[in-house]
Amino acid sequence: MNETSLNISIREVTKKYDQFYALKDVSLEINSGEFMTLLGPSGSGKTTLLMVLAGFTNPDYGSVKFGDEEVILKPPHLRGIGMVFQNYALFPHMTVEQNVGYPQKLRGVSTAETKRSVEEALSTVKLEGLGHRGINELSGGQRQRVALARAIVFKPKILLMDEPLSALDKKLREEMQIELRQLHDTLNMTTVYVTHDQKEALTMSDRITVINDGELMQLGRPNEIYEHPNNHFIADFIGESSLLPVTVRNGKASLNGEEVTLAEGAERSGDFLLVVRPEKAFLADKKVKGSNYFVGKLIDSIFQGESQLLVVKLSSRDDGHEVRVRVPNESVTQKALPLVGENVTIGLKVADSYVVS
Amino acid sequence: MTIAEMEKPNERGLQKVAANERLTFFGLTLPYLLMVTALIVIPVGWLFYLSFIGRDGSLSFENYERMMKSKAYIRIFLTTFKISILTTIICAAIGYPLAYFMSQLSRKWANICMIGVLIPFWTSLLVRTYAWLVLLQKKGLLNNMAIEMGLISEPIKIVHNTTGTLIGMVHIMLPFLILPLYANMRAIDKDTLKAASSLGATPTRAFWTVFFPLSLPGLLAGLLIVFVLCLGFYVTPAILGGGRVIMAAMKISSNIELYFSWGAASALGVVLLVVTGIILFIASKLVSMDQLGNR
Amino acid sequence: MKINILKSAIGCLTATGFLFSATASYAEDTLRIVSWGGAYQKGQSLGIFQPAAKAMGITVKEDTYGGISDVKLMVKSGADKFDIFSSGAGSCASGAAEGVLEKLDYSVIDVSNHLPGMYSDYCAGADIFSVVAAYNTDTYGEGKGPKTWADFYDVEKFPGTRAMRSKVDAQLETALLADGVPMDQVYKVLDSEEGIERALNKIRTIKPHIAVWWSSGAQHAQLMKDGEVDMTTGWNGRFDVAKEDGAKVAYDWQSGIMDWEGYGIPKGAKNKDLAMKYIAEMMKPEYMAEFAKYITYGPTNKKVYELGLMTDERAKMMPSHPDNAKHQLTLSTEWYSKWRTIAAEMYTEMMTE
Repeated sequence: MNETSLNISIREVTKKYDQFYALKDVSLEINSGEFMTLLGPSGSGKTTLLMVLAGFTNPDYGSVKFGDEEVILKPPHLRGIGMVFQNYALFPHMTVEQNVGYPQKLRGVSTAETKRSVEEALSTVKLEGLGHRGINELSGGQRQRVALARAIVFKPKILLMDEPLSALDKKLREEMQIELRQLHDTLNMTTVYVTHDQKEALTMSDRITVINDGELMQLGRPNEIYEHPNNHFIADFIGESSLLPVTVRNGKASLNGEEVTLAEGAERSGDFLLVVRPEKAFLADKKVKGSNYFVGKLIDSIFQGESQLLVVKLSSRDDGHEVRVRVPNESVTQKALPLVGENVTIGLKVADSYVVS
Repeated sequence: MTIAEMEKPNERGLQKVAANERLTFFGLTLPYLLMVTALIVIPVGWLFYLSFIGRDGSLSFENYERMMKSKAYIRIFLTTFKISILTTIICAAIGYPLAYFMSQLSRKWANICMIGVLIPFWTSLLVRTYAWLVLLQKKGLLNNMAIEMGLISEPIKIVHNTTGTLIGMVHIMLPFLILPLYANMRAIDKDTLKAASSLGATPTRAFWTVFFPLSLPGLLAGLLIVFVLCLGFYVTPAILGGGRVIMAAMKISSNIELYFSWGAASALGVVLLVVTGIILFIASKLVSMDQLGNR
Repeated sequence: MKINILKSAIGCLTATGFLFSATASYAEDTLRIVSWGGAYQKGQSLGIFQPAAKAMGITVKEDTYGGISDVKLMVKSGADKFDIFSSGAGSCASGAAEGVLEKLDYSVIDVSNHLPGMYSDYCAGADIFSVVAAYNTDTYGEGKGPKTWADFYDVEKFPGTRAMRSKVDAQLETALLADGVPMDQVYKVLDSEEGIERALNKIRTIKPHIAVWWSSGAQHAQLMKDGEVDMTTGWNGRFDVAKEDGAKVAYDWQSGIMDWEGYGIPKGAKNKDLAMKYIAEMMKPEYMAEFAKYITYGPTNKKVYELGLMTDERAKMMPSHPDNAKHQLTLSTEWYSKWRTIAAEMYTEMMTE
């Protein structure tokens, strides 16, 4: 076991409010030093799980172990975790220095040592020299960094973060994602990160736990989650996907009567959804083997900077399913795009064709 | 004509817009300014002026001389401040935990509690004061019950004195302390307490290092309102004090009757105003408002 | 449109009665009279105010007030709130000295049958009352309580809590009488600051036993009714009413200090002439007799006795009955106009010590 971090073992954690399950038999192993993201839409239970880890919410039953130690009965202040809150939760009546030094003061650390560790923490989050500022004098990004410095100053073995970047603007958020990841790699503490932003989760995590309706939906590395979603919820939630209904009978799949060749999953019979990622679909001039093709009418074409997003309404006895196709910008300049209203053919390689239930 | 001298596009029009906006802001504050002038500045100035008018209508210091001559006036001022300070302290001791409790409840339950706090406002001050008299007097409900239960053998004296006055005044003043304090506590980000706790603070420590300092502006506002209102109290000490608690307002009233000159009463008002001003000034020096307002 | 809104706004204000109550105008045949409330005003209302109004065919509206200072303030500020007030002789004299009262027209008001001295230029006497020492009969037994002021001040012979008035009126006299000053010497002794101080010193001797300083007649009646104190100074009529209500209270005429109450008109009263006629009506013996049925304050008009309008039994309960009056000191209005302010300040100083 690494001495700067602890593994977390969550077993059968359940929390019920009246008839509604906030968490339902959640079991999860988080490795020591791992960056684990709890991803889910709002109300999914991800924050509740984080609060259970922190000790602010008591589950109805279940076990949470930090290392070998059961902590579920311990109050928050004895759990020794660092925590970063969504709205920073800085102490407005204290300076930056006092905020960051707060956990050290509680631990009875000497003044000199506190001063040193505060400076170190502030330099880690790139806030050197701002120690004497009041909280009101800081920008949103700076406040986030203070909150982070405060959470790591006492070198906790576990760091919990509750949507810490949600209040920042997009550019700053993306910068901070990379910084946080680098910080994690430097400090190597076990990090549990809650977000509803799938891009953020994909960018930062070692592993992602997708949670919905209080239940754990899928656990895996970012590329696993993205490429092999377990079900239509995850396929829909992670990345932009178009989901088309297909029927599988006797090893053969069909979309509105037309046959679709699947890379996998044709062994079960039933109704499924074909996942079409916009970046995997392409405009086809001619049909060649190894791909599935769909014909439709271009109903919208949106310029998005690095790419052009095409919205195609499928024809052929279909009741109007839409498929999105992303055409990289380089191609936009190279060849003429179809105009809205024109008929187009969309291709999807067999290797990229899979269904979810 | 050089370029520098040339008018920029719409420069004057935009200046006019800015001027209009300033005028609008001034216009919006005007009713308040007029009100303050009409209801505070002029009457207080008039009060000062009247306090220097003697019984025969000429300018004189007789109203102040009278106060210097009789020890009763000093004692009345001391009583006034003693009762006001005690009421304020007791209100804080009772009101702070209650406001804290309410601030931790859900909005719904907090609102129900708030109605409870405000219900006394629906009854007139006079009725509430007399109700206390009925409860607290020698053969009142409280003494009778305590004797029946064998807690005491002789009725204890809890009204017609300072104790009774304090009970009545605290009851009436409590909402004035709770309202600003509760509003302030509600506005405190609960996550700051969670943060303190996650960083290792015991609930007690988190309360004293985070919650309490953040609630100080509301507490101070409440204390100030209660203290200042207490200084002018009349009905409650008059009824529950049994004539043994004479506060400034009561003497102001009796001086009007006694001398029938506004001056004799105004001088008391002026002294009360000045002494209060000095106390608040010292208090503001002791507790730096800047520090508290840093939110 | 705008005017309508304005009208309804004004309507609202009038309805809530904040702004216009002071300036509301009344019809020509309406009079507004103020008195002291409680059992006293109840007796006045049922025995005098309303029957007299009915006899004259006018409307009389009643209210309570806070004493002569209200009259002074009203007149000096030019307000118009009432036409007649009920007031003690001493207070009335101080109002007259301030020049805020209308001189009464005794060609309209007939006082030819009044007891001597029971009316003045500004105040038409209506009833005679006494300040007495009342005691709780449960504490001391009927007839066994303090009879004289000397008893009232004797905390060894009569242990127990006491109440006195928070204002100086009729209190210093009790102290001097208790101190052994003969009745006819009381105001002579009081005619100097040393004399006043002597009276205050006597009060100081019992101050630890004074539980309450009362400020109204209703209050001292309630204090006795509730058993809050064992004895108090106060107005005889209030105690009699309280006794009828079941209060354990008694007093002895030996402790009486007699004073009288009458009606006055504030300067500039709108319905001055009508007020004068109304006071004349109220001076008639039948009203005074009727009033005395409600509260034991004796008539100023001798005719009440002469015409046999009062039973002997009731008459004996009146402070002004010769058998009762002979024990009593009569309050000196002159002394109060000369010394009241000084004495009041000294009294307050004693109270706050």
